Amino acid sequence: MSADRLSVIRIRDLLMVTVPPDPDDVTISGLQQRVLAAMEQYEAKGVVLDISPVDTLDSFFARTLSETAQMVGLMGGRTIIAGMRPAVAVTAVQIGLTLRKIETALNVDRALDMVSSKPQLKKSL
Amino acid sequence: MRKPTKAPAAGSTAASPLVDKVQTSDLLHLLVDSVKDYAILLLDKDGKVLTWNAGAERIKGWKANEIIGQHFSRFYAPEDIAKGKTETELKVTREEGRFEDEGWRVRKDGSRFWANVIMTALRDKNGELVGFGKVTRDLSASRAAQDKLKKQAQEIMEMATVPVVQVWEGIVLVPLIGMLDSQRTQQLMERLLQRVTETSSPFAVLDITGVPTIDTQTAQHLIETISAVRLLGAEVILTGVRPVIAQTLVHLGIDLSNVLTRTSLAAGLRLAISTLNENAPARTERAV
Repeated sequence: MSADRLSVIRIRDLLMVTVPPDPDDVTISGLQQRVLAAMEQYEAKGVVLDISPVDTLDSFFARTLSETAQMVGLMGGRTIIAGMRPAVAVTAVQIGLTLRKIETALNVDRALDMVSSKPQLKKSL
Repeated sequence: MRKPTKAPAAGSTAASPLVDKVQTSDLLHLLVDSVKDYAILLLDKDGKVLTWNAGAERIKGWKANEIIGQHFSRFYAPEDIAKGKTETELKVTREEGRFEDEGWRVRKDGSRFWANVIMTALRDKNGELVGFGKVTRDLSASRAAQDKLKKQAQEIMEMATVPVVQVWEGIVLVPLIGMLDSQRTQQLMERLLQRVTETSSPFAVLDITGVPTIDTQTAQHLIETISAVRLLGAEVILTGVRPVIAQTLVHLGIDLSNVLTRTSLAAGLRLAISTLNENAPARTERAV
């Protein structure tokens, strides 16, 4: 019901965001506000969005994710979406969302690896 | 046992002395009554049950006194009766002399069984219809076995159509062989996403060496699959892009510029492994 279900934790120069299983529109809007506010407050280098608990994805959520990543980019940070479930990925592709600007990781562990290794690995390939 | 003193009756199968005492028609009655594997019954012209045997009781559940005189629609599901199946069966049998059917029938307790039914029109010497003979077999067991076989065959086919194998720590390989239709690409997407998640593999190598041609729709499906795998956080390398396929893709105007592609499977695997190794030092440092 509120953005309180969302957790935004700062780990060193990163923001760790955990999204609840079934986020409503208020929670999703709250996510964007809180991530951006935390970016400003901590001058974080990146955001790791753990969406592994999420099992449904609608167009509003998808658009917000993509917009938030762009905003974080403007504020000088990277956004990595971690742990997307197969069913969610299928839905995302079906509604035409490819998250081209966003980096993805299989899980939080690998997302942290990506941040600590060379930046934008995929583009270098 | 046959007694040697008595000669067999000419022109008859009734060679045993036992038959001299009992009429063949009585024997026939006895046979029909005692057969347990078939429900054998007689219906009158309107379809009411006239006789009932042991097999009928075993298969359908009613005792003779409960069912004789009742219409044979009792053996059918409500939806079949609504469709007028019973009348159709009688009509066909009347006109063609015989009717055969396989389908669901209902037992006394309401449960259903898969039956093979043969109806025969019974006519007297003048060709006047006097009733119907009905033989029913319960095929539920063989049908269940058939269904099981079909299911197994389908599972094997699925495995064979879209094999997803983990070939290296962090790499799953999908060797695709033969034409890709939309059903196969759908299965491919599901199985590949599942396996990538299960094995936490950062790389999926999609080898299309064995795919003869690619059309717009198939290419679109492949792109969707690649996008979905990327959303999970893994990268897809498309290998086995032969000259013909490359030509087709460009002529169709399909843009694969942001997909990693290699001509040979070996080159694709090399790329995946070297990228994994590049990342490895970062991982071990963290672990220390």
